[in-house]
Amino acid sequence: MLNNSPTPFLPSTRREFLRRSASGIGLLAFSRFAPSFLVNAASAAVPAPEKDRTILVLVQLAGGNDGLNTLVPFTDANYRRLRPTIGIPDTQVLRISDALGLHPSCAAMQGLFHDGRLGIVQNVGYPNPNHSHFRSTEIWETASASSDFMSTGWIGRYLDNACSGRPAASHDPLAIHLNTLNGEPETFIGQREHPTFGLLAGAGMRRENDETRRLLETIAGAPGAPNAEEGFLQHTLMDSLVTEGKVQTVLGSYRPAAAYPATPFAAALRNIAALVAGGLPTRVYFVSLNGFDTHVNQAATHADRLKVLSEGLAAFQGDLQAHRLDGQVMTMTFSEFGRRPSENESKGTDHGTAAPLFVMGSRVSGGLHGTPPALNLAANQDVAFSTDFRSVYATMLADWLGSPPEPVLGGKFTTLPLVRTA
Amino acid sequence: MTLSLSPQDAWQPLPAGDWNAEAARHLLRRAGWTARPAEVQRAAQEGLALTLDRLFPPSPALLPEPEMTQRVEDDMPEFAAQYMQAAPEDKRVLGRQQRERWQAAYLDLSIRWLDFAAQPENSAYQKWVLFLSDVYVVGFEKVRRTPLIYRHFDLLARHGLGPAPALSKAVSRSPAMVLYLDLAENRREAPNENFARELLELFLLGEGNYTERDIKEAARAFTGYRIRPPGEFVFAPRQHDPGLKTVFGHTGHLTGDDVIDLAYDLPAAGAYLPRKLTRFYLSDEMLPDPYLYALGGAWQASGYDLRWLARAFFGSRLFFAPEFRGNFIKSPVQFYLALLQDLDLDGVPLPRYVINPMRQMGQVLFNPPNVRGWVGGRNWINSGSLAARRTLVESVFHPLNPESLNADELRELAAAAAARRGDFAVADERFGPLVALGPGAAVRAMAGDFLPVPAGPSFQGSLETFIAGGRADPREHLRRVRRTLITILESPAYQLC
Repeated sequence: MLNNSPTPFLPSTRREFLRRSASGIGLLAFSRFAPSFLVNAASAAVPAPEKDRTILVLVQLAGGNDGLNTLVPFTDANYRRLRPTIGIPDTQVLRISDALGLHPSCAAMQGLFHDGRLGIVQNVGYPNPNHSHFRSTEIWETASASSDFMSTGWIGRYLDNACSGRPAASHDPLAIHLNTLNGEPETFIGQREHPTFGLLAGAGMRRENDETRRLLETIAGAPGAPNAEEGFLQHTLMDSLVTEGKVQTVLGSYRPAAAYPATPFAAALRNIAALVAGGLPTRVYFVSLNGFDTHVNQAATHADRLKVLSEGLAAFQGDLQAHRLDGQVMTMTFSEFGRRPSENESKGTDHGTAAPLFVMGSRVSGGLHGTPPALNLAANQDVAFSTDFRSVYATMLADWLGSPPEPVLGGKFTTLPLVRTA
Repeated sequence: MTLSLSPQDAWQPLPAGDWNAEAARHLLRRAGWTARPAEVQRAAQEGLALTLDRLFPPSPALLPEPEMTQRVEDDMPEFAAQYMQAAPEDKRVLGRQQRERWQAAYLDLSIRWLDFAAQPENSAYQKWVLFLSDVYVVGFEKVRRTPLIYRHFDLLARHGLGPAPALSKAVSRSPAMVLYLDLAENRREAPNENFARELLELFLLGEGNYTERDIKEAARAFTGYRIRPPGEFVFAPRQHDPGLKTVFGHTGHLTGDDVIDLAYDLPAAGAYLPRKLTRFYLSDEMLPDPYLYALGGAWQASGYDLRWLARAFFGSRLFFAPEFRGNFIKSPVQFYLALLQDLDLDGVPLPRYVINPMRQMGQVLFNPPNVRGWVGGRNWINSGSLAARRTLVESVFHPLNPESLNADELRELAAAAAARRGDFAVADERFGPLVALGPGAAVRAMAGDFLPVPAGPSFQGSLETFIAGGRADPREHLRRVRRTLITILESPAYQLC
């Protein structure tokens, strides 16, 4: 305050190099509520998991996953015509039927498919598709028609409906997001505020965040705030730091029963397993995996992303099975759109429409669902969807989360036979 | 609230002897977003009067209409014509396309405004416009036509330092306002009171200063205000109720403008905007009425000149009183822009990197929760919004990861870099001067530049010890200095101005 130096101590270098780094941020982001199971210092032991509680894990493939090179119609002449250079050769696809095979990166998922633990819903989309990342993501997150603009997400509305009779005293998070770029996903926004929190990406940042937390604890805990507003801020900050520290302890003491690959995505799934094992009453987890916007030379990038996805999912499923938690958890992927069937001039693909999505779990009705897209398309034509994404949501709501779908989705959507009864 | 000055003394100009660097910091932090050392020095040298001239100039710079908004606006007549002729099923498609374009233009407008407001020379005036928009509220969620939102803000900026009655009259004709408060539904045979009520309650007088009858009669005076497609204000004389009305005890064939003039004749109008001003710039606690009426009376005598009001308020002894130093919680907009200015960074021109964190911190630009505007102050803070602020701080210390960007975003970033506006993250090289200092001096320098209140001994001590613990290894030393700065920016004190 008394420093009169006019020299900014961080001199600006306008030509600064924009450094690229894969390291993210590792920080807990709480909603306004601190979870009571952690805040309540007296109960050191975590509560016993409720056996009948089902949990949904949403995996966002951000950027628009190329469905046609994920679930490959390798016998279709149109596929070869539309994908002359980036098509996956017959010899490399991992066959799951006479006509369809998975991308060669998806060996682990092929295993899950053969075990009956992976369901594939083909050609999922919505009418009047939008090609903007931002808008189409919003449509998937809010479960709106493409002509409507909604300010709440489908999980948020599910929580609005499912938890109306919930005791207000409980602050246990009902939804948790991991590795999302911008904090809480729109999917979680409800009419009412629900306790949620986020674990942001970057295992490598852990030590630094612990440092900041400890320093802030000293600062926030110091007596004699210079004014009432700072006192209020110190108090609020202290509350969330204490909770944050306890969550880190739960995550740090977890012993996974499967070898997770060393990717931020797998680390997030491992954390989900830790929190499920810890008995959180959380019903929905949302984890984001980026990098699917493959406009240019997509082969290597797409192969890498699918490998990360496939191996991460398989490790997660194995871990849950070993902990006998697999009956409780169902995992589902989604992406804002698939990509254009005809490849572009840069050995990549542009924004498209419908694509397959995956559903994984021990209670999944494995195998193929829905119908594949018709590929008798002109150059640059989009596929027409055959299953509305809201039918998949309706299924998860009705048959997995046990909540009537209509109030959440604002309309009736046919459910699919994706869930086996326990 | 204990005030150190009487209502009579409160609004006296600050004595020249009380103007110093610390006062300049207070002014810059409250009137703008933050107090950068070079600007503090300049203001301290120039004096208060000249500084206020600069912050509230006779003709402030205006945000040019963003290209995307312009394009959507240019297309509106053609679109309206197409829409009129379209078959019902095509109308749906057209309507959808139009809303999507408005939405994209809205996000773009938000980014452009933030970028404009982040320029130090524009900061104080754009904050003033934000203040006015927090009084004369319209919301994007209802209005949806981005060009009308832009024009509303442009109107506030153009009238923002002129006579307040002219501003109020212009607002009553702002197409965004006509839509937002259903003024177009206010028909001669079936008056809609929405606008008239909010005009008296929230724009001009405040509750308790009018009767229900005043509202009913005022609503009649505002009949005939219409919008012609695609979005132009028109007065339709045949829709206007020309009959006698009685408002605030005055009877006549009153028009909407007459009602506004009559309202400004009331002392309550003089006190109303100063009340909003203190709540927006000064304190969560309301000033007692005698203070507000004292300023209001003098403001009325100035002809309700808004520039006079800004200068009187920001130049007053009360504004600089010790009880208002370093104890007001920054809004999310201010938190974000102060962070950019303090660290000399450019805003990332990508909506999801800016608009989403803004939403998590509790403020969506051009879209306050309701016609009362944002409540502000302590209401900005809960453990969720505080975590969002901390995440934002962390994010500006980490370069964007290109793998997480889609192709459109990479293009935007390339364009920003080409325009030399690509400093999105704090680079390690910038810590050179701090690393050269000893731990104690480094913490003092950072706290002195960034915090509005002096660092306490445990604040100073814990950070100093932390840096000192890594001095043996230059890389670790740098890392710790960097981590210290992050901690300072995440600390309670940095949330204050």
